[in-house]
Amino acid sequence: MGKIRVEGLKKSYGSNEVLKGIDMQVQEGEVVCVIGPSGSGKSTFLRCINRLEDITAGRVIVDERDINDPKTDINKVRENIGMVFQHFNLFPHFNVLKNIMFAPVELGKQSKEEARATALRLLERVGLSDKAEAFPSQLSGGQKQRVAIARALAMNPDIMLFDEPTSALDPEMVGEVLGVMKDLAREGMTMMIVTHEMGFAREVSDRVIFMDGGYIVEEGPPAEVFGNPKNERTISFLEKVL
Amino acid sequence: MRLIRGVVLALVLLLAATTGVPVLAQSQADQPGSGKTYLIGTDVTFAPFEFQDPSGEFVGIDMDLMKAIAKDQNFKYEIRPLGFNAAVQALESGQVDGVIAGMSITEERKQKFDFSDPYFDSGVVMAVRKDQEGIQSYEDLRGKKVAVKTGTEGYSFAESIASKYGFTIVPFDDSAQMYDDVKTGNSVACFDDYPVLAYGVKQNNGLKLVTEKEPGASYGFAVQKGQNQELMEKFNAGLANLKANGEYNRILETYVGENAAGPANQSRLGLIAESMPILLAGLGKTLLLTFVSLFFAFFIGLIFGFMKVGRNKWLRGIATVFVDIFRGIPLLVLAFFIYFGIPQALGFTMSPLVAAILTLSLNAGAYVTEIIRGGIQSIDPGQLEAARSLGLPYRKAMMKIIIPQAVKIMIPTLINQLVITLKDTSILSVIGLVELTQSGKIVIARTFASFDIWLTIAIMYLIVITILTKIANRLERRVRVG
Repeated sequence: MGKIRVEGLKKSYGSNEVLKGIDMQVQEGEVVCVIGPSGSGKSTFLRCINRLEDITAGRVIVDERDINDPKTDINKVRENIGMVFQHFNLFPHFNVLKNIMFAPVELGKQSKEEARATALRLLERVGLSDKAEAFPSQLSGGQKQRVAIARALAMNPDIMLFDEPTSALDPEMVGEVLGVMKDLAREGMTMMIVTHEMGFAREVSDRVIFMDGGYIVEEGPPAEVFGNPKNERTISFLEKVL
Repeated sequence: MRLIRGVVLALVLLLAATTGVPVLAQSQADQPGSGKTYLIGTDVTFAPFEFQDPSGEFVGIDMDLMKAIAKDQNFKYEIRPLGFNAAVQALESGQVDGVIAGMSITEERKQKFDFSDPYFDSGVVMAVRKDQEGIQSYEDLRGKKVAVKTGTEGYSFAESIASKYGFTIVPFDDSAQMYDDVKTGNSVACFDDYPVLAYGVKQNNGLKLVTEKEPGASYGFAVQKGQNQELMEKFNAGLANLKANGEYNRILETYVGENAAGPANQSRLGLIAESMPILLAGLGKTLLLTFVSLFFAFFIGLIFGFMKVGRNKWLRGIATVFVDIFRGIPLLVLAFFIYFGIPQALGFTMSPLVAAILTLSLNAGAYVTEIIRGGIQSIDPGQLEAARSLGLPYRKAMMKIIIPQAVKIMIPTLINQLVITLKDTSILSVIGLVELTQSGKIVIARTFASFDIWLTIAIMYLIVITILTKIANRLERRVRVG
């Protein structure tokens, strides 16, 4: 019984089929990296996991709940799935503290005082205790992304989705964000990460999925996928990026 | 929220300050008697038959006759100074019960209206600028332009001889504008009813009479054909009584007799000062109209704006059609349609104020819809995704994350809409609403001081708009910082 189960997932935009039938599972505590060339459908796939995209066919089951079933309260499911975006998407009209406290307070999960304490603890964890009162516009890219991770964690989710979390960062800031993610992985968080950071994927993931043309082409432990790829397309992709 | 409360308070205070000035008494329904109060439409600028005296009271031959007849026959009435064309249309659409406005009894009008016994025998004369020596007769008009007032006997007469004498007709909606056109030299002459022109000349309107009176039709009081026959009977009976007891002659004497009052001797500043209460009352109406309409427009805009950015394609379609319709119809046409068209089709009456608020609210509502849609859509879709991914429901995400950001973007365009709507209120003068522009027309009808009064009004608009813009800019800065 996987934490996340995907069965026969298809997704089209009009006549353009982006995902052509995906079956996979993620176990509790597993860290899965999704790699592949741009346009392969990795980000779309990730966004189907918390229904930011409505799917065309198949099923996505998270914690035994079919998230596309109209009877499922998607907001409840999402409370349990944190998401981190390529472009951070911090709320510019709130300061850092309020960005993190906002959802737990607004959804009645925590009182203001509790949420504040949680937020300060999370900020310490991502190394930004001194930025609590800053506004997003005053932060660097790496700092913004660490705040975004803290914001997602504030809801205390079981699952974290990362959509190319370092792609919009200057190279010198990539490390600080990956560091926070490594800590999370060590603590046993269930994670799905769409990334172009091959070194990170090799080091952190329990399993690597290679996608191309709307299919999962190859998957396995990182040592196998990176060290001894079977599929031709995997080989040619890895040759280009490594 | 504190900010919004502050704004509302400021607006209310502003309104109170401007509408607190003495409002003109247009209701003369102080006659005793039972039964319904008749609504009587009239012109606003047709001295000596109807015009406002310096205290804002409507006076003139028609007004005094109506008052005396109502007293004699013991009925209540209320005067609606709409302007001549608007009054006639209002009678046709049942918005008023009767019209007394120096209205000539013609065969054409008898098709639609029932007329009382004639109460005044008129005729058409020609007037030219006081210092004009070149125009003495109709022959001198060849190749020239002649100003006339639409719907009057002067118009019909000018039309009937236009081709014979080879002049062009320039139509105007009220007498004051027609006289101004002659004074400024755009037109060389104008045709109007004899008593009106004679009175104007006597009040120093800058013109002089150059022809003998062409015998013409008589004036009568009108009701819609077959309607309000009781009112008509009372009018005729009252008129006969007034003629018998000498009251009728006394009223005529007051305005067109040898001893009628000449122009008041006044400095230009004195005249402006004297007109101020009327103009300020008009300004109050303008502001009331602006803010009430914008208030509704904002709600309309919120509803349709949200429909436009929403996920339901039917609601999106409805909102799009709404915007297309009310952005596509000129304000003037919309005002006529709402005030004259709809009541006529559905058989009910609507006050000019309600019609004006409806017109402006729908028009501005269409624009505000687009402002709100644009504001919301200018926010990065990633913001909504981030909020939703945290488990926030759509409504909450919109209210707390998207709208606060969109509002900041919308403020400058909303201020712009406020200024546009305030200026657009002047268009509503066409349905007889006595706002600032219409107040100006009324004052000029009595004083003929076009330059001074229009300048005063322009400055008044300018001051109010500047003040509002400054307040709004201040607000905008506070929102941006906050």
